[in-house]
Amino acid sequence: MLPLSIKDDEYKPPRLNLLRKVSGWFRSILADKTSRNLFSFLCLNLSFAFVELLYGIWSNSLGLISDSFHMFFDCTALLAGLAASVISKWRSNDAFSYGYVRAEVLAGFVNGLFLIFTAFFIFSEGVERALEPPDVHHERLLPVSILGFIVNLIGIFVFQHGGHGHSHGAGHEHSHSLFNGGLGHGHSHGGHGHSHEQKHAHGHSHGHGHGHSHGQDYCHDDHSLEAVAGSSKQILQGVFLHIVADTLGSIGVIISAILMQNYGLMIADPICSMLIALLIGVSIVPLLKESIGILMQRTPPSLENALPQCYQRVQQLQGVYSLHDPHFWTLCTDVYIGTLKLLVAPDADGRWILSQTHNIFTQAGVRQLYIQIDVAAM
Amino acid sequence: MCGGMAARGPGGPRCWQNRRARLLCMLALTFLFFVVEVAVSRVTSSLAMLSDSFHMLSDVMALVVALVAVRFAQRTRATKKNTFGWVRAEVMGALVNAVFLTALCFTILLEAIERFTEPHEIQQPLVVIAVGVAGLIINLLGLCLFNHHGVGGHGHAHGHGHSHGARQQHPRAGPKPEPPPGDGEAALHREETSTLVENCSSSNGVSQEKLGDMKDDMADLQVNGNAGHYPLDEEEVEEDSSAQLNMRGVFLHVFGDALGSVIVVVNALLFYGLWNPCPEDGPCFNPCINNHCMENATLSQTLGRANKSEQEGITVAGPCWLLYLDPVLCLIMVCILLYTTYPLLRESALILLQTVPKQIDVHSLNSKLRTLEGVEAIHELHIWQLAGSRIIGTAHIKCPDPSTYMMVAKRIKEIFHDEGIHATTIQPEFASVGSESGRGKCELPCRTQCALKQCCGTGEDSTAKKTEKSSSLSISCSEVVIEFPKTRRTKSESIPSVKLEANTDQNEQFESSL
Repeated sequence: MLPLSIKDDEYKPPRLNLLRKVSGWFRSILADKTSRNLFSFLCLNLSFAFVELLYGIWSNSLGLISDSFHMFFDCTALLAGLAASVISKWRSNDAFSYGYVRAEVLAGFVNGLFLIFTAFFIFSEGVERALEPPDVHHERLLPVSILGFIVNLIGIFVFQHGGHGHSHGAGHEHSHSLFNGGLGHGHSHGGHGHSHEQKHAHGHSHGHGHGHSHGQDYCHDDHSLEAVAGSSKQILQGVFLHIVADTLGSIGVIISAILMQNYGLMIADPICSMLIALLIGVSIVPLLKESIGILMQRTPPSLENALPQCYQRVQQLQGVYSLHDPHFWTLCTDVYIGTLKLLVAPDADGRWILSQTHNIFTQAGVRQLYIQIDVAAM
Repeated sequence: MCGGMAARGPGGPRCWQNRRARLLCMLALTFLFFVVEVAVSRVTSSLAMLSDSFHMLSDVMALVVALVAVRFAQRTRATKKNTFGWVRAEVMGALVNAVFLTALCFTILLEAIERFTEPHEIQQPLVVIAVGVAGLIINLLGLCLFNHHGVGGHGHAHGHGHSHGARQQHPRAGPKPEPPPGDGEAALHREETSTLVENCSSSNGVSQEKLGDMKDDMADLQVNGNAGHYPLDEEEVEEDSSAQLNMRGVFLHVFGDALGSVIVVVNALLFYGLWNPCPEDGPCFNPCINNHCMENATLSQTLGRANKSEQEGITVAGPCWLLYLDPVLCLIMVCILLYTTYPLLRESALILLQTVPKQIDVHSLNSKLRTLEGVEAIHELHIWQLAGSRIIGTAHIKCPDPSTYMMVAKRIKEIFHDEGIHATTIQPEFASVGSESGRGKCELPCRTQCALKQCCGTGEDSTAKKTEKSSSLSISCSEVVIEFPKTRRTKSESIPSVKLEANTDQNEQFESSL
């Protein structure tokens, strides 16, 4: 009896029921607080960009038009984050055996790349303007840039606690993909001390272990966990950095406008742009490093200290000769997966060794572990 | 160096060096051209040339990214931090290039729209033509250099599963330029080993002698140093599959640049030929350009109205549609670029999302595994692609007892190998003594060791298993720990004299004495 996968909803031939799909997406966006925030901020940004565009066309100011285009460009970053938060909730299926949870890491990475590109672009524009200063209509620029600054400040406050990784939080229900990372911690809290950095609060209820019908539904019912968006961390970080970059841009425009109006320093504009570009570039580096590490299947930095001790403990188990070929990597934030091979004595109890090893690594925070037992011949 | 592009000849390193040499060549040329363009733009004070030179700079950056990725991806040896080596660097390089290309397309789109609202004349079209042609030549050269890595170089990339026999004799050593380190430079994915990359003798307890023994099917694997030669076709396949994504990114970038140069040249030529410019002296009426200054408009209107008799003295600047040609062509170029970049973006993103590779049918693999005798159930089957043709698989296999597992383990590995998955980690699970109901239950479910929510379970688990799992979820961690030592003692009592046969995918050394 070959059990076929039941969860192949994703693989049904695409029905042209676009409306249902889109409404499904909306529902999933509105269900989670993080994505709600993202969505509302995206709407705010889009509307502001449209207003700026229309005003720029009406007053014939090229500066405003190009600034509105910049805002549209930034909206794409928000859109990417939103898309990632929707996608990473999808069920796993045949093609994606781990589910789509990596989407958030990828979204953070792509956002980072876009930001670097934006910084490069701003820098080059600054250089162009320094060499050939165009005449800027400051009168119109100042009020609009102040408005933009305010919009971005709103964004910073909204995403602030989400952006930095120590997302705790009240109401930050997170999107599912905490497979094991956050939830299990609540349980094993009694026995073990999790010394490695915890990005999420431990206070979650483990009431709902049972009777969940699969996949999707429970993700969306509420997670009355106070568990936190460890998983959306990458998305939020990317979005937050984008908003910060925007804010810096607005500040730069305001400063340069003031300087130009009051002191006639035309050179202020390009210099501000270049400085801002540099700042943006510098702020992106940590996000990029982390995303690249995850995508390159690097050993999780938070486990690096704990792993050698675990190896030693495993090798001290009775019957274990040696441990080979360990690979540990991050699937998404706080979800670690590992594989290793053990060489054991012929008379060793495989099951006991397996369960002990699982426990040892569970204490370290690795929930998904694949241990291959190779028996040595006498 | 550059001429070596034709010599995709025998042996990997020359092929690999070709790749790198090509990238370096193109990088040098492009950078030089960038410098030239900046200088020319300063001399002619043409803003368009300056912005085009920044496009060239982004091209340089793309090449640098690809080069860095190639350089990193050579390091296939496992390090402490990167146990898989740096092999994925090329996929990342491809993604970065694809994203940059997309961002560049958006930028060009924005600029084109700006040009629609405020058209510019081209100053000094002759210079623009000259520089544009030079850029075009360089880009065409680049296209030739990277041509066979271009779109659609996919086909032979995944040929595994078949030439098993041939493969066994030819372990692929690491890249030649690096001297083989003393510790075992194991063969890479091509071999039917469980070791994906060479292990360095790091502090995680890897013992070198045992390392060689852990290889399965590779009786003649040379553990130390470079193994002998390797067949050409495998090498090429290797290059193509893992490196081709990266090179495709570069190719697309150069292609985009070439299109840009074509547009510049065409535009400048048409402009030069058809445009009727305003002469420097004398009044000129330019109907195409909306001047922001109101004075000009009123001036032109008054001129038009009042001095009709002097109209022949006033030149009207040339056909206006010429000014809109540039943005239109740019829009077309953006569409073409986006269309060709999308597959690359999708492919590298799918690899990074840990998808099951397209050529592997998980259902059939699952069914093949289940039909083996001795296998009761398969859990947590995950297959993903590290980079190129390196595919990694993990699974839990549930067997009634350890001896059955030993017998079945080799066949399980063979099934995986036939699909092309060479790095597998199979965790055996043994049914609890005397539990008939737990036939399908996963003894050590990965995520559900202590209570939890299995939101994103694997597709293979049926709902039945799920609910079973959920009922087992009430077991707390401490219970699990206590339970097993008891069974352990009983186990060892019950099988005192069975000499378990080794996982004989490995060396003769481990053959059982039975």
